[in-house]
Amino acid sequence: MPQTAIQLQGIHKTYPGKGSSPSVHALRGIDLEVDPGAVFCILGPNGAGKTTLISILAGLLYLDEGSGYVCGLEISGNRRRIRELVNFASGHSNLPDNFTVDETLNYFGMLYGLAKKKRLKKTNYLAEFFELSEYRKIPFNQLSTGLKQRLALAKSLINDPRILFLDEPTIGLDPKVSLLIRERLQKLNQDRQTTIILTTHQMDEAEQMSDRIGFLKDGRFIRIASAADLKRSVQFQERITISGRNMGAALDRLQGIAGVSCTVLNEQQISCRMDSRERRLHLILQALLQAGAMIEDIAIAQATLGDVFVKLAEQSDPD
Amino acid sequence: MSNLQSNLIQINAFFFKIWLITKKRVFHLFEILFWPAIGLVSVGLLTRFLHLGSNMVAFILIGVIALSIVQIGQLDISYVILYSIWNKSLKQELAAPVNVFHLIAGSWLMGIIHSLLVLFLLSVFSTYAFGFRFLQQGLLPIAWFFCGLLFTSAAVGIFVCALAFRFGGRAHVGANSIVSVMILLSGIYYPVEVLPAPLRIVSACIPVTYFLEYFRSFYGFPIGTANHSLLIGYALALLYVMAATATLLAAVRNSRKSGILLKMSE
Repeated sequence: MPQTAIQLQGIHKTYPGKGSSPSVHALRGIDLEVDPGAVFCILGPNGAGKTTLISILAGLLYLDEGSGYVCGLEISGNRRRIRELVNFASGHSNLPDNFTVDETLNYFGMLYGLAKKKRLKKTNYLAEFFELSEYRKIPFNQLSTGLKQRLALAKSLINDPRILFLDEPTIGLDPKVSLLIRERLQKLNQDRQTTIILTTHQMDEAEQMSDRIGFLKDGRFIRIASAADLKRSVQFQERITISGRNMGAALDRLQGIAGVSCTVLNEQQISCRMDSRERRLHLILQALLQAGAMIEDIAIAQATLGDVFVKLAEQSDPD
Repeated sequence: MSNLQSNLIQINAFFFKIWLITKKRVFHLFEILFWPAIGLVSVGLLTRFLHLGSNMVAFILIGVIALSIVQIGQLDISYVILYSIWNKSLKQELAAPVNVFHLIAGSWLMGIIHSLLVLFLLSVFSTYAFGFRFLQQGLLPIAWFFCGLLFTSAAVGIFVCALAFRFGGRAHVGANSIVSVMILLSGIYYPVEVLPAPLRIVSACIPVTYFLEYFRSFYGFPIGTANHSLLIGYALALLYVMAATATLLAAVRNSRKSGILLKMSE
């Protein structure tokens, strides 16, 4: 029996076509290992297969091909047992509309087969942990977006899951609530060694929370590494944003410089990614001046996870 | 905690869910109490207008009561899924380690309580308003009649749940359609003998036909099918419960395979 929290080999999933819409091959051979207690983040463009993968792992979706273990249990033969050991929350979670916070937690506690005493204890603890205590008698449909999301996360911890699957848990939330949720999840990971599998489009969240990041594209992991390693692997280590007048005029010349990739943001701004400041900066400036641009301001920044995301997303399909 | 205890709690989860829906949705309470009462009063008044004798009044009101019980019993089972589809919370609930049997048992239990309530109210009401004493036949015949109708309602409710996994929230149309077919073909307001011959074959496949036949026999109406009405009714009802359960299991499995479960929660 594997000692990993998750172990996947060659997972494939195709959604059947309906009417005139063709079938969608959402996952095309996923291999993955995640250690117990780790936080693993899945990044990727829309339609990459992130939600499909998380749904298979959480027992909401059946896989077509491949094999895998979750909490040491083979996925296809232990679906119910796995659902006892894991839990799941997604951004914009929908819960029964007119159940109050207390009723929702009580109901989901029952769905996980918890005895009354334990449900009550967990409800009290989770309401406090996610700062929901003063809203306990408020129905779900009267809660703000942030409170709804906190309740969805509280619900996802009702059974003390060994693995928690989070599908864009902070989407659409204001920075304050996002921060609170991240803090709580990190505390949970540290205190209870809960393995967290997270998908997000927020690069700072991925970088701050995860031990490793997997970049999923067209149903395959094309890179799995730590945030630091991913950033080191980017060819364009720095980004320069130049403001002034007549910036677009130099684009052709700039595109001709090796190790430089530029985009005109607008007539007053151009943004270039470069592999080396020492070797490329003076060439960029020279090209701009020769094209008649008037430079007023220059800002240089290190590569971010966002740059990694853009670069990997732009990579052509291996097929 | 034992496996049995855990299973009982999971059954109780769906009982609790229907209890909360009943408590919080005035519309659901309306469906349980208001419409059956309206049905009984309107049909009861019609029997007065037509100057029907007490036996004919009994014949028709037994049909009305039976129809209400089937209708109410299936509602709670149907709602356990339909409500989650309307709320888009099905994915969250089915991410828990629950199965179809928890879902059916918990919601049916509440369906039984609601049906008992309706049976009691309609019986009392029909006694005082129309002089029809439904309860006079004693506990055993009523129990056989009522339980048969409960099994029939369970089959309808479970089948509607299966339809919900295929057609989403529109599946409640299926519930209305099935009940409408029963009104037409199972002898709710008239004996099935008045139906054209091909339709009589269909009516012979509906359990309610037999339960009505059984209970009406206490009011002097002839019992058909060689005195085996109750047996045939129960056999058919149980067969439909099993078939509907198998359909629901397949529908749930298919929803997890095709991704419909995720789509219904978006």
